[in-house]
Amino acid sequence: MQKLLVKKELQEILRSGQFRIAGLIVLLLTVIAIFISAGYYRSVQQQHAQAQSNERNVWESQDDKNPHSAAHYGTYAFKPKYPLSLVDQGVDKFVGISIFLEAHSRNEAQYMAAADQTGLARFGELTPDFILLFIMPLLVILIGHNAFTREKERGTLNLIKSQGLSLHKLAMGKWLGVFIPVAALTLAIFLLAGILLSSLGDFGELSWTSLLMMLLIYLAYYAIFACVSLIISALSKSSGISLVSLLAFWIIGCLAVPKAATNIAELKYPYPAKQAFDEAVAYDKSQGLDGHDPWSKAAKKLEEETLKAYNVSNLQELPFNYDGYRMQKGEEHEAEIYFKHYKELKSIHEQQTGVYRGLTLLSPYLPVRFLSMSLAHTDYSTHWHFSDAAENYRIGLQQALNENFADNSEYGNWAYKADKALWSDIPAFSYAPPELSDVLAHNGQNFAVISGWLILAFAGLFLSTKRL
Amino acid sequence: MLHAENLTKEYDGNRALDALNLSVGAGDIYCLLGANGAGKSTTINLFLNFIKPTAGLVVIDQMDVNKEPLKTKEVIAYIPENLNLYGELTGLENLEYFVGLSGKKYSRDHLSDYLNEAGLQANAHRQRVKGYSKGMRQKVGIAIALAKRAKALLLDEPTSGLDPKASNEFSELLVKLSDQGVATLMATHDLFRAKETGTDIGIMKAGVLVEQLSADDINHSDLEKLYLAHMN
Repeated sequence: MQKLLVKKELQEILRSGQFRIAGLIVLLLTVIAIFISAGYYRSVQQQHAQAQSNERNVWESQDDKNPHSAAHYGTYAFKPKYPLSLVDQGVDKFVGISIFLEAHSRNEAQYMAAADQTGLARFGELTPDFILLFIMPLLVILIGHNAFTREKERGTLNLIKSQGLSLHKLAMGKWLGVFIPVAALTLAIFLLAGILLSSLGDFGELSWTSLLMMLLIYLAYYAIFACVSLIISALSKSSGISLVSLLAFWIIGCLAVPKAATNIAELKYPYPAKQAFDEAVAYDKSQGLDGHDPWSKAAKKLEEETLKAYNVSNLQELPFNYDGYRMQKGEEHEAEIYFKHYKELKSIHEQQTGVYRGLTLLSPYLPVRFLSMSLAHTDYSTHWHFSDAAENYRIGLQQALNENFADNSEYGNWAYKADKALWSDIPAFSYAPPELSDVLAHNGQNFAVISGWLILAFAGLFLSTKRL
Repeated sequence: MLHAENLTKEYDGNRALDALNLSVGAGDIYCLLGANGAGKSTTINLFLNFIKPTAGLVVIDQMDVNKEPLKTKEVIAYIPENLNLYGELTGLENLEYFVGLSGKKYSRDHLSDYLNEAGLQANAHRQRVKGYSKGMRQKVGIAIALAKRAKALLLDEPTSGLDPKASNEFSELLVKLSDQGVATLMATHDLFRAKETGTDIGIMKAGVLVEQLSADDINHSDLEKLYLAHMN
């Protein structure tokens, strides 16, 4: 029975010019978007690889010098791009791609791609995620808005009902009739993306599991839209009313709610201004050990404690260079200050995310967007993860340099120069994003919301058919 | 086969059908006459379970329509005034679809036979229905009834808008089905067809069945007079 219902729906849809034209346009746009994004991805990856290699060469090419000079000379941590960012660019363009790693300071990521774009970029870009999140639901609406109203308008609904068919079966057949062409189109898009992404060579390795997971999430998104389209169609008196109602749902769900969520989150839990944040960090730093000022109160206290611990009367008698030791303690103290302030920022981020998650009940767009970005490693959480990894590397780097200074020179010998071999002995920064299992675990609530949407949408569909 | 007992339907306190008692036996063609709003379509819709009765009983093939709405539909076929099929599908595909919905499955050749039996020309079977005339669409409706092996036909002004030739062909098909034992309840405005085709005639006025008579007991002229007398 279902086969018969689906066959007829597909026959009608495929024979109507409406779907053929709309489907072709969507497919064409997606292919263009994928190829544009692939070109951009390759170019960015090339630039990243070049910059990363140059930066490492610059670091390793330093001559013999004092390790603390090298610490101030600094180096960069580059955020890698991942193949799935080609499908969903997420917030990548707005969060910077590299962090300058230096002594005493935790820096923000720099060089946002958005900063290099012209004002025209404000009009938006043709990217695969734009098509998957905004255009495909419109296609679902186009196919599904008149699924029931058309039957009512031409009088075939009564003829169907007179055949003794259960309305639930009819609803399921209609749903499959709307969902199958969209799912086939989505499958084709992901297959094309998969083939392209797996041929990236040196520019990243595709996780087919993540791609499959992303595909399933988008299919769930379209399944919800298909249900909503049929519910509205079942409850509407005419196709025109149904289409307008569904477009209102699309505008609210895909445009208004996400933007309102941003405004509400910012209003309720605002991030501190950059200047205020820097001032708060500077104040905390001034209250403790900075490593450079041996006459400060904190430095004097550390000196007394160290002498006592090693049971010596002056710094020259210590088995290491106290300058290097003090420098390291200063780094540790400053790292704690950064940890404290960044923890506050993260807490605000979590609170803002909470606002978004609260609003996911109003729109299936939000959980799908979050999951898609997480799987593509282009969300804020991954950016925080990268930022923390870069900070841990910076702390380790400073420790290695300070220890070299402390272990290989005497107190007061600021003329000490470490052998240039040290620079290449320190491993380069490398970053591994969260594992898929961690991403999935972190997004449990989003999965729950999508599941809730699916259950409600199907329940609504079956209930609405009673009104037919 | 078709039986209504004290069948009543009210809409917001307004009585659209008032204690209708009616029976259509196997092979009978019962024609319901009456002006617009007399309750003819309401009666058909109650038999189809498209609407629920306020009171009374509707029985098809000894089954209570309200208790077994899906089962009763297995034995009936319905043809409305405008049988609008799926324009993008062919006549054959439409037939396959609607017959399939009732749980019956036939080969395309077999379905073609039903279309032939309903009088649809062979070259039209594989044409898209959007090019069909109303008469051709009604023939597909009859083919559905034939393929479904319906025991009863519920027709709501099926000949309205058909040209005399098509109307005559349709009536011939009804008689043919009647000969096969199919019970027919037809709401119509066409007094001539009612007298020519029907075995029984009922006249309705304001939800009440005011007259019931055998078609053999009255001639065309008297039927018209009787009808007009009730309408005044």
